Amino acid sequence: MLRKFALLLLLLIIVVPGVSAQTPTDLTLFMTFIPNIQFAPVYVAIEKGHFSDAGVNLTIQHGDEPDGLNLIAAGELQFGVIGGEQVILARANERPVVYVYEWFQKFPVGVVAPSQNNIVTAADLKGRKVGIPGLFGASYTGIVALLAANGMTESDIQLDAIGFNAPEVVCLGGVEASVVYINNEPLQIQNRANAGQCGDTTAVNVISISDAADMVSNGLITNEATIAENPELVRNVVAAFDGGVQDSINNPASAYLFSALYVENLLTDEAFETALKTESAAQDEFLATNPDREAIAASRVALLERLSEQFDAETLVQFRVLLNTIDLWDADRLGYSELASWEVTAETLTTMGFLQTQTDLEAAFTNDFLPAE
Amino acid sequence: MQQSTLSTILNPIERDAGAQKLWVRRFIPALVMLMLLLFWQIVTMLEIYPAFIIPPPIDVAEKFYAVLLDGRLWLHTQATLSAVLSGLGVGVTLGLVLGYLIAKHPLLEDSLAPVIISLQSTPIVAYAPLLVIWFGSGPTSKVITSALIVFFPTLMNTVVGIRNVPRPLHDLMRALRASRWQTFTKLEVPAAMPVLIGGLKISATLAVIGAVVGEFISANAGLGFLITLARSQYDTALVIVAVITLAIIARILYWLVTLLERHVLAWQSRARTI
Repeated sequence: MLRKFALLLLLLIIVVPGVSAQTPTDLTLFMTFIPNIQFAPVYVAIEKGHFSDAGVNLTIQHGDEPDGLNLIAAGELQFGVIGGEQVILARANERPVVYVYEWFQKFPVGVVAPSQNNIVTAADLKGRKVGIPGLFGASYTGIVALLAANGMTESDIQLDAIGFNAPEVVCLGGVEASVVYINNEPLQIQNRANAGQCGDTTAVNVISISDAADMVSNGLITNEATIAENPELVRNVVAAFDGGVQDSINNPASAYLFSALYVENLLTDEAFETALKTESAAQDEFLATNPDREAIAASRVALLERLSEQFDAETLVQFRVLLNTIDLWDADRLGYSELASWEVTAETLTTMGFLQTQTDLEAAFTNDFLPAE
Repeated sequence: MQQSTLSTILNPIERDAGAQKLWVRRFIPALVMLMLLLFWQIVTMLEIYPAFIIPPPIDVAEKFYAVLLDGRLWLHTQATLSAVLSGLGVGVTLGLVLGYLIAKHPLLEDSLAPVIISLQSTPIVAYAPLLVIWFGSGPTSKVITSALIVFFPTLMNTVVGIRNVPRPLHDLMRALRASRWQTFTKLEVPAAMPVLIGGLKISATLAVIGAVVGEFISANAGLGFLITLARSQYDTALVIVAVITLAIIARILYWLVTLLERHVLAWQSRARTI
């Protein structure tokens, strides 16, 4: 009898974890915008099985940032990719959300200007007409922080809301400079200039806000209830996400190929696809030699040089966006968030008049769920 | 219709019943609004959703008062109203002129119909960003967005209104040797007016939508901008304040057109009572 009981117990120990591993948790990850190469880590994490290994069956939902954050705060969704400044504002307005993984280690917003406008530093923006998607969100926070870091205010420049049309408006000369995402729009404008489709512009200057102010950018968030009730799930999702980011940094060619399964028009050239497959395999061999972060960064530069010799700028534009974006994710410790950057962001929001009350910034984020170093 | 009007004049009991009906009709909208407010309050009291998703009416009322007092609401309302009225003016004028020409010249209809129908069947949000690029981020792009959305119903109603003028009346005008201008002012305009006013009613409310779509794309001011700003600041009460203000603007515009209708079409009700 005792032997039968022991056998049954043994069977339960073996079978039950197996059953739970076979029934993964269905989870929806909220992301802004539309499917885009900049979300490569998520596509990589899904395709390489990081989420399924973590017991998560992931679905992606795109939408407007405030809507996604509200859904997460209300418990309708559990995870999302949201800007740090949005987390501060949301918490100040009673949304119980917590930032658990700092995906973008550098604030991706900056100012782009055609070189003939002689705008090289933030000081050169004084009195100039500067385009901005709108007087809200990361772009607005970013420009206010840049101006403040250089002893200026919004009244020193002429801000003009132009929607997400910077390449067109800059090339038409509608503004002298524009607040943009530095990993994307400067490249688009430069490509148009190279094709002679950007007025007198032949080159662009970019002022990166992260050089002037260390602010929190996009990261993975969840809600307080999920952290309290299911910390293991948070840990697993963070680990899977981290795996996707790390893999994308290490092997951008592979990340691009995976992303093409989710994003339309990434692979329009068969030769380009073949080249990426070859490069991806070679990079895997290189990674097997355990190179350090610097060597991996150098390998990305070399990869772009090789591809540029074979393909035109048009074919490479989205791949270059990915490489530019990887530079914004890469850090000694991926996902780690510093209190100082939250303080700079909160200070900027207060200057803008968006934040009227004191917010407990330490409760807005946590590094507790990051994978061990 | 004529009979019932006559009997109402003749019979005091029926006249009282008519007055009572009128009173009920005036009272019902307020009652519905009150019931909606009550329902809203109950939903928030039951806490089906957190207050940051559906704030209680009192929070919204407080926010309304606050932004009214600090001048923000008026500032943004002015910007939207200016785009709405300009868009309405431009759209209606173009719709009337082109509608009349199309009604009179079928060849013009054949040439322009494909363009006009394609433009109308495409959602305005799809090409509104292009208008910002073409016409700049200032008020012009909002006015054009509003005018474009207003243009089509005005045009269609004008075509229908003018073409529906009974043929015998045209023959009568011709028999009376009326000039083109006389036929236009004495026959076509009055005869088409009920349909035109119907189009104007639709256009007045659509103009608000057009202006707000423009403001959603890019703006520094306006109620559409205020909604975007409030959303990005997680101020749901302010979003609702802006939405209510938009509804009030649309309602007032509709009411103004109704007043115009009563004034312009007074001859119709007079004709019914004869």
